[in-house]
Amino acid sequence: MTLADLVEQHRVLLCVGSGGVGKTTTAAAIAAEAARRGRVTAVLTVDPAQRLKDALGLGAPTGKPRRVPLGRIPGRLDAMLLDVKRTFDELVGGLASSPEQAERILENRLYQNLSGTLAGTAEYMAVESVYRLAEEGGYDLLVVDTPPARHAVDFLDAPRRLLALLDSRAFGILKDPTTILGGTASRLAHVVLSGVLRGLERFTGLGLVREIGEFVQMIEGLMDGLRNRVAAVSGLLRSEATRLVLVAAPEPRLTAETEELARALAGVGLAVHGVIVNRALPQHVFGCEVPAAAPITGLPGALERRLQRSWDDMRALADHQALVLAPLLRIANAPVLAEVPLLASAPGSLDELLALGAHLFPREPASEAPAHGQGR
Amino acid sequence: MARAAPPDAKLTPFRHRGYDRPRVASRLPLGTQRLVFITGKGGVGKSAVTAALATAAADAGRRVLAVQAGRGRLGALLGTSALTGEPTRVRPGLFAAAIEPEDALAAFVHGVLRIGMLARRLLESTSFQVLAAAAPGLPELLVLNTLAGWLDARRLGRRAYDLLVVDAPASGHSLPLLAAPRSLSALVRLGPVADMLTRLEHRLADPAETLVCLVTTPEELPVRETIELHREIRALGLPLAPPIVNAVPPRRFGASDEAALARLDPAHPWVMAARFHIERRHEATAQVAALRRELGAAPITLPFLFAGPEAAGGVAALARELGAVTGMAA
Repeated sequence: MTLADLVEQHRVLLCVGSGGVGKTTTAAAIAAEAARRGRVTAVLTVDPAQRLKDALGLGAPTGKPRRVPLGRIPGRLDAMLLDVKRTFDELVGGLASSPEQAERILENRLYQNLSGTLAGTAEYMAVESVYRLAEEGGYDLLVVDTPPARHAVDFLDAPRRLLALLDSRAFGILKDPTTILGGTASRLAHVVLSGVLRGLERFTGLGLVREIGEFVQMIEGLMDGLRNRVAAVSGLLRSEATRLVLVAAPEPRLTAETEELARALAGVGLAVHGVIVNRALPQHVFGCEVPAAAPITGLPGALERRLQRSWDDMRALADHQALVLAPLLRIANAPVLAEVPLLASAPGSLDELLALGAHLFPREPASEAPAHGQGR
Repeated sequence: MARAAPPDAKLTPFRHRGYDRPRVASRLPLGTQRLVFITGKGGVGKSAVTAALATAAADAGRRVLAVQAGRGRLGALLGTSALTGEPTRVRPGLFAAAIEPEDALAAFVHGVLRIGMLARRLLESTSFQVLAAAAPGLPELLVLNTLAGWLDARRLGRRAYDLLVVDAPASGHSLPLLAAPRSLSALVRLGPVADMLTRLEHRLADPAETLVCLVTTPEELPVRETIELHREIRALGLPLAPPIVNAVPPRRFGASDEAALARLDPAHPWVMAARFHIERRHEATAQVAALRRELGAAPITLPFLFAGPEAAGGVAALARELGAVTGMAA
C-alpha cells in the first residue's frame, strides 16, 4: 500500500502525530499532490505557520473552505482553518430549542471558558468540522491536520469522551455536589458537605459550584441532539472511508509521544494505516549497514580529516535516528509510506509543497499520470 | 567548593542588561536568581537544556532542584528513573521532581477540604477539567505555589535548594503557567488565594529572583515562535534571559573547503555528509542572525549533538557550555 492508494481510495485522511513533527506541512503537501492527481480535495488545518498560510491563501479563520490558487496546476484544492470556538457556537445554535436558549448558553461565562478548554471539546469540534465537510462539502478527499492534543488520541476518541463526560457521575456531582453522598447518607452529612463547599467558594473567592451547576443544567437540554450527532461523527471516523496516517520524526521526545499516541489509538480500536517519517537521514547512504566508503585521496590532510569527521557524525546521527524510530514502528504496526529528508527550510509556496509531495509519493511505475483524469 | 560565588556586578538584575541595548554579550546572566523557567516550542530540547543547566549549577556547588512541569524526558536525561512529586536525590547537590497541574489541584483541594474521600470524588475523572475551566489559571497557580514552597523549604537550618530549574511546558502551555497570577487576580480579589497571587506575582516579576529562558533550535518555525513568545512574556513583565539556540551544527568547513568540495564526486558519502553539514550550518547561522536581529540580543548557542543528548556525555557537554556562559564554571 502507498500513500497514492490511500488518497485515491478513501475520503478522509487523518494525519496524526505529536506537535512538532511537521504534521501540518505534511497534510498540506499530501492535499496538494492529491489535487494535482485530480481529486477534488480540501485540507483542514489547525495552526499553520505564516508561510504555509500564505502558500494556501489562508487569512483569518472564516469557518469556510477557501479555494487555493493553484496557478498552472490542474485540479481543485480548498483549504480551511479550523475554528473550535465558532464550530462549538454553531453546534449549540443548531441544537438549542430556541434562539434565546442558545444565547443564554453562549453568554454563560463558564461556557465561554469551557468551549475552549474542556477535555476533548477542541478535538471534538475539529471532528465535527470534518464531518460537516465530508457530508456537505462535495469533496472527493479531505486531508485533516489534527490538533496537537496533549493526549492526541482525544481527537479521534473525542465524540465518545464528550458524551462520557456529560453523562458522567462527575458532571452530576458538579450539578448537585451533595449527590456524592448517596441515598443513605444522613441529613447531617448533607449539611456538613454544603458547608464545606460554601467554605471552598469563600476560600477561592470564586462562585464555582453555583456557576457550574447552572451551566450543567443548561447544557443538559441539548443532550439528545448532541448524542445523535456524536454517534454519526464517530461512525465516520471508524468507517472504511477514513484512513489514519501517523506522522513521526526521529527525535526521542517526539517518538516517545508518538509511541504513546499509537498505543492509545490501538486502545480505542483505531488502526494506523501507515507511517510517514519526517526529517530522516537517508539510511541507504548513512545507515550502519552501509560499508565505509573508500577514502578520497589527494586532499589536504586537514580537509580529509574534517570530511571523515562529518561522515562519522552523519553515521552517528543516522544510527541515533534508527534507534529512536525502531520502537515506534513496532508499536504502530503499519508500513512506512514515505521518508522525507530533512529540508533546509519549511515549504512556503505551492511549488515547494509539491516538491515535498515528490518525497511523500515516491515515483511508482504507473502513477506518473493522474489516475482519475484531469480536474473534476 | 561549598557555596556559589557571590554575584558580581555583571550578574546583577537583568533589567539593566536587557534588550533595549542591542548586542549584549552572549552570556546567561544567572546571578542571584533562584527560579529559572526553561521553555520553548515542543521538541527543541527543553529537557536537555534543563538537565544541563541544573548539572552545571550543581557542578558549581549549588544545591539544585530540577523540576519537570509538564511533559518531557528530564528523568531519563539526568540518568534517574521516573520523577515524582517528591524531590529525589540524583547525586550530591542535585535533586529532581515532577509536578502536574492535576496533582497540584488535588493536593490543594485535599488540603482545603481535609476530607480524603470528598477530595478524590471532586477530582474524579473529568470534573478536574470542569473546575479548571471554571477558574482558568487555578491549576497553574497551584504549580507555581508548589515551586514557591520548594524555594522556601529549609533543611538543617539552611535553604533546601539554592536554585530551581524548571523544565516548563511547551510554549503554548507555558504562557498560562507564567500568566496565572495575573489572569486569576482579575477573578479573585480577597481571601487566601488572593494573597497567594500577590506574593507569586511579585516573585515572578522580580529580576533578582526569577529568570525565564526561551530555548529554540536554529530552524525557521521554532525561531518564529520564540520571537512571539518572547514578546508575550516581556508583555507580562517577567525577566527574560537571552534566548538559547540549541543544536547548532559547529562550523567545520570554510569557503576554500567548499571550493575544494565542488571539485569532488558529489555522490561520494563523505562529500554528501559534508554538503549536508554545510547546508544545515548555513540555515542555522541565518536563523541565529534572525533571532539576534528581532530581539536585539545575542543568543547563547549550544552545539548539535549528533548522537543525541541521551548518549554518554551528552548532558555533560551541554553543561560545560552553560557553565561557561553563566560564569558558574569560571
